[in-house]
Amino acid sequence: MTAENGIPAVELDRVTKQFADFTAVHELTLSIGENTFFAMLGPSGCGKTTTLRMIGGFEDPTSGTIRLHGEDVTGLKPYRRAVNTVFQSYALFPHMTVEENVAFGLRRQKVDDAEIKQRVGETLELVQLSARRGAKPKQLSGGQQQRVALARALINHPRVLLLDEPLGALDLKLRKEMQIELKRIQQEVGITFIHVTHDQEEAMTMADTIAVMNQGRIERLGSPSQIYEDPRTPFVAGFLGASNLMNGTVSGNEVGLPNGSVIRLTDIQAARCNGHATVQIGVRPEKLSFFGNGDANVPVNRLTGVIADTSFQGVSTQYLVEVPGIGQVAVVEQNLGEIHAPGEEVLMAWKPEHTFVVE
Amino acid sequence: MRLLKRHLLTVYAIGVFLYLFLPVALVILFGFNDVRGRFNYQWIGFTLEHWESVFFSRTFGGVQGLWDGMLTSLRLAFLSSAIGTVLGTLIALSLGRYSFRGRGATNVFLFLPMATPEVVMGSSILALFLVLGLNQGFLTLLISHIVFIISYVVLTVKARIQGFDRHLEEAAMDLYATEWETFRRVTLPLIMPGVFAAFLLGFALSFDDFIISNFNSGPRVQTLPLWIFGAAQRGIPPEANVLGTVIFVVTVVIMLLNVVWQRRQAARTRV
Amino acid sequence: MTTATAEPELARMARRRAMVPYLLLLPGIAWLIFFFMVPILRLIGVSLQSGIYPNYEFTWEWGNYAQLWTTYRGQVWNSLRFAFTATVICLVLAYPLAYFIAFRGGKWKNFLVVMLLMPFLMPFLLRTLSWKIILADEGLVVSTLKGLGLLGPNATLLATSAAVIAGIAYNFLPFMTLPIYVSLEKLDRSLIEAAADLYATPAEAFRKVTLPLSMPGVVAGTLLTFIPAVGDYVNVLLLGSPNEFMIGNVIQSRFLNVLDYPVAAALSFTLMIAIVVLLVPYVRATGTDELVA
Repeated sequence: MTAENGIPAVELDRVTKQFADFTAVHELTLSIGENTFFAMLGPSGCGKTTTLRMIGGFEDPTSGTIRLHGEDVTGLKPYRRAVNTVFQSYALFPHMTVEENVAFGLRRQKVDDAEIKQRVGETLELVQLSARRGAKPKQLSGGQQQRVALARALINHPRVLLLDEPLGALDLKLRKEMQIELKRIQQEVGITFIHVTHDQEEAMTMADTIAVMNQGRIERLGSPSQIYEDPRTPFVAGFLGASNLMNGTVSGNEVGLPNGSVIRLTDIQAARCNGHATVQIGVRPEKLSFFGNGDANVPVNRLTGVIADTSFQGVSTQYLVEVPGIGQVAVVEQNLGEIHAPGEEVLMAWKPEHTFVVE
Repeated sequence: MRLLKRHLLTVYAIGVFLYLFLPVALVILFGFNDVRGRFNYQWIGFTLEHWESVFFSRTFGGVQGLWDGMLTSLRLAFLSSAIGTVLGTLIALSLGRYSFRGRGATNVFLFLPMATPEVVMGSSILALFLVLGLNQGFLTLLISHIVFIISYVVLTVKARIQGFDRHLEEAAMDLYATEWETFRRVTLPLIMPGVFAAFLLGFALSFDDFIISNFNSGPRVQTLPLWIFGAAQRGIPPEANVLGTVIFVVTVVIMLLNVVWQRRQAARTRV
Repeated sequence: MTTATAEPELARMARRRAMVPYLLLLPGIAWLIFFFMVPILRLIGVSLQSGIYPNYEFTWEWGNYAQLWTTYRGQVWNSLRFAFTATVICLVLAYPLAYFIAFRGGKWKNFLVVMLLMPFLMPFLLRTLSWKIILADEGLVVSTLKGLGLLGPNATLLATSAAVIAGIAYNFLPFMTLPIYVSLEKLDRSLIEAAADLYATPAEAFRKVTLPLSMPGVVAGTLLTFIPAVGDYVNVLLLGSPNEFMIGNVIQSRFLNVLDYPVAAALSFTLMIAIVVLLVPYVRATGTDELVA
């Protein structure tokens, strides 16, 4: 509805949160579109949870403005915002049944009984918990509790749903299932989800847009593939997946490495080197491949080294290759043919478009 | 509106604290009262006379029995709490370390002395002493005080035992410590703050007890509370207030030191 | 051959180890059985005796129990009335105080709990006698109440039920405050945030979440205050008059002054039973943990 007229679901305008002895969020400006699955990703203490809590109304910003669908809500109490939260520990009321928990928000809004009954039924259906409506939270498994927390928030038809590390307490298998489940529910109800997590894989699986946060600021904002392929900062390159980072000197579209190798950049990446004599460049381990001496079509960016360590990982094998003058370079190869042994000398190569520059 | 509500609660809490401390302040204040006549219930004027007589006069300000009562109470509190702490700590170790048949029943049984009105406990044990032909005196006081101390000791020590990491003991055994060595080198040092706190609690309970002592002291032995009670009928000398003030200050200091010590211990064992 | 000798050896060691918890219990529990359980159970026998001191005989004298209603009805009524009123006062004082410490105490929380207990380090009788100064006829409280017209010109507070209740409420306040504090303190703060998130105003969040979840503390505090209060007799002796005598006073004077052991035992035993009846449903529902935590 509001998507057409272009008003974003959530807008933060130079929002700062200062606690007694440190700044949790620093002049954050951000706009989140309608009907998106937005993830805030970062290590603990990066300010992502504080940002979420400010959107939810649990913390007041020290300065700055928060708008929901264009309306200034800064300083408004949580119970006056059309925003609901799925809490990290779920915060299910232990003295109420599943049904009472889910109906709680509607009762506070004085919705009439018949409608409450109908909506509770529908929402429990949505999260597949109709059978456990009379149970107390303690009698439920972790995954079921998670679904109740989700239902309890969704039933209010919030215009934005906030999720604070919602899958943190679940085991790996259940977490994978819930990731898909959450994505399905988001598409089904069509509202903006803002999801806080420190798990990069979780963020990439679910989100349309990811904001990588560090020390109270957003370091990188974009779609998962954009951020992964072009992380732009060493922090993002290291936090999201693994990277080989190397220092070199710029000359036009090329970067000279300490061992004498010359690495070619794309025009777009080269443009970002303008004005710098030296830069740091990176390449993801899975973008590197081994080549023999006689192979044709070897990509232009090449390094030679000696394999220091080989570790078998099932679908792939990871190698650490010692390159003189640069250090260890990680290579991930799919397990299609032979596995190289430590001590072997190898040639590695990758394409210019897989090289990124970090600042 | 919310601001008002916030402050309303603060004001209320301060009010309750004032209510709690007002009687204490009055006890202290009236130790400085230049009292006329027998009853020390009205403020006349300021004097240090009673403090001087408590600390410097050889006859303890000529107040009969006050000093003896104090000594009896100290002796009784020390002995009953020491014995009660040993008995209670053993029970706490059993309940906190082992699971065995009858553990739940033991927990409930230990709760009973705390739930029993003191007047019932005091009178029933007196009735037993009468039948046994045991003359009331220091011994009967000691026996009865230990009875009500044990449960509180168990509670305090058990909390400490349950609060520490069982892996520490397993680690000790893994490193070739026998059961006894594990207890001696690991368990005991770790529960010591709890044991000490239990001893202090038992001491305070015994020292301040009136009802149980009232039944079991007999005519010849007088604890400090019994002396104060007797004196209340004919008028309490301000020297009692002075002594009360000293007891208050000393116990407050001990309590604060124990809190600091416990916290430091906790910080150290957390690693 | 080796296993044949090793097995009984192991079994014996296991049996010895199984004995350890009982051996640890033995001295303390034996003490409590001899000097607590036996005396209480003996009360039953004593309570059915009759005769004149010092020659009491067991005669199934149920009349001792009947005196509770016939002779000491007034004192029973006083006990219930004073204990109930004092408990209500304690609750009214304690809940906001416990709430304040738990939710607004911040880093001062532990210090405030210490402060709460501190007054009780002043000897019990001295701090209770202080109320004689506070409630004295020429004192501040009486003159203020007279000034407000709440008290007649010749009225006094000392030696009235008001003074007794004031003393009881004062002395048992921590028993009410601590359990409530503990239950509020361990309440997960995100539950209150969740209520706010789900459109509950602070008042609704308190009524629907905080209050129900702190009920175990309230019930425990009520029991811990009411039980000792109903058996108390010292506050009456210090602040009241014979008109305010409670059941504890009767037990005390029957035992120590009149030496009428059978009636005293009957009253004691009845009091004990009444308290057990009060406690059993509670302990069965929640265990003893809340009461002693």
